[in-house]
Amino acid sequence: MQLYQTQSYQKLSITKDEIVPVAQKKRAEGAVLAMIHAYLEDDGRANVSYEYEVPGGIESYTVEGESVLPSITGIYDLGAEWPEREIMELMPITFEGVDTSKRLFMPDSMLSGQGQILVTPMDELTKKAHGTEGGDTK
Amino acid sequence: MSYIVPIGPYHPALEEPVHARLITNGEEITDAEVFIGYNHRGIEKLCTERNPIQTIVLVERVCGICSHSHALTYALAVENTMNMTVPKRGQYIRAIVAELERLHSHYLWLGIALHIIGHDSLFMHTWNDREAIMDILEEISGNRVNYGMVTIGGARRDISDETRVHVLKMLDKIEESMNRLRDILLTDKTVALRTKGVGVLTTEDAIRIGAIGPHARASNVPVDVRKDAPYCCYEDFDFNIAVWDSCDVFARVVIRVLENFESIKIIRQALDMLPAGKINLGNKIPRIPAGEYMFRHEAPRGQLCYKVVGDGGEYNHRVSIHVPTFRNAPTIPTMLKGNSVADAGLIIASIDPCFSCMDR
Repeated sequence: MQLYQTQSYQKLSITKDEIVPVAQKKRAEGAVLAMIHAYLEDDGRANVSYEYEVPGGIESYTVEGESVLPSITGIYDLGAEWPEREIMELMPITFEGVDTSKRLFMPDSMLSGQGQILVTPMDELTKKAHGTEGGDTK
Repeated sequence: MSYIVPIGPYHPALEEPVHARLITNGEEITDAEVFIGYNHRGIEKLCTERNPIQTIVLVERVCGICSHSHALTYALAVENTMNMTVPKRGQYIRAIVAELERLHSHYLWLGIALHIIGHDSLFMHTWNDREAIMDILEEISGNRVNYGMVTIGGARRDISDETRVHVLKMLDKIEESMNRLRDILLTDKTVALRTKGVGVLTTEDAIRIGAIGPHARASNVPVDVRKDAPYCCYEDFDFNIAVWDSCDVFARVVIRVLENFESIKIIRQALDMLPAGKINLGNKIPRIPAGEYMFRHEAPRGQLCYKVVGDGGEYNHRVSIHVPTFRNAPTIPTMLKGNSVADAGLIIASIDPCFSCMDR
């Protein structure tokens, strides 16, 4: 028994060719682009989701396995440009036509698709700091 | 003559690191650019090495002001992935803490804005009032920053009847003080001179760029996740979405004052109607099944998004965090254009930014 309301989430798979038509349709309907999320699978495949607000929840249009995608900044303006630029700087995913001459998120020296930021595990850092690589750090 | 005036990333006028580049013609700002990412801590990556209970502790530390919002949104995303039904009392307690957090956050911003405006006596008055809210949060949770009130499946601490009665009394005092503060803020000449007509973001621009939260509502855009897609039993409470149509920094001041009254209204109702029963589903460390869910919570600064991807393993497969500042910061250049360099600090601060939160 549902005691209270909650938000719906519907995932729909699309191809990269459908990204722009979907964005145009959503814009025409007055839907807000809540966010563009992206991550890399363990085998390096890109997963990019366009999350649109719908009454009561989110409709998520997901493109899998494509690392070069069309930009929707012409449709959602800065609401799409910032997420696209952030994704481009953090991951080896490209949105065609987005100006990358200036950084948004990453340092200037790490522009041009340097890939995802990797966190060095604390035990490795400790080993390096103490010069005990391969040994006990306690 | 045209100059480029850099502000930040580390600057005495900024509370947190961000870099703004102002292109000016004399004193007038003709264009601006904003650069972020100076406090990136790799939190999303760290989430992939933690189980859901450990993740709550971690994400509470994304932000020092809306810590409860982060833990709550993550928990809601996980619970929905798992189709959990959280006890109603637990949901009410979560909503109470969320509204207390909104109150203290709005008071904090009002204080900072007044300090930037140069009205330090009112800044101190505001922060004095905020202490009463912090005391309530401490009484309920035992903490003043990271409350630790959320667990997967409900709330971690109950609210006793004694605390409930005390909080209701405290709310009367806070509301009385808020009435006084509202009268001063709406009529004070210093506040009006520094904020009216400054940093305008028109309704059209707010919608075009995708502004959210109080920032959008101050541009007459009535968006609020608590109404648009209710959760945590917000549908049980009678409250209004505050909007203001002057679209300037003054509107952003007014909106936060009005929202404080709405938050007090919600907390009173939640305490009065607090359902009996359990507050959570017990102490189990859940495994997130294969699948994903994105949840949105109306945090003090606007819509906070958590997308959680599970693979059935011990840890999160992926967690993606996007805070309200990420949606509101792109409006900064539009608001700065045509204003004086002297107002740049106030205009940037008027979105109630949390840059460290945004950099996560």
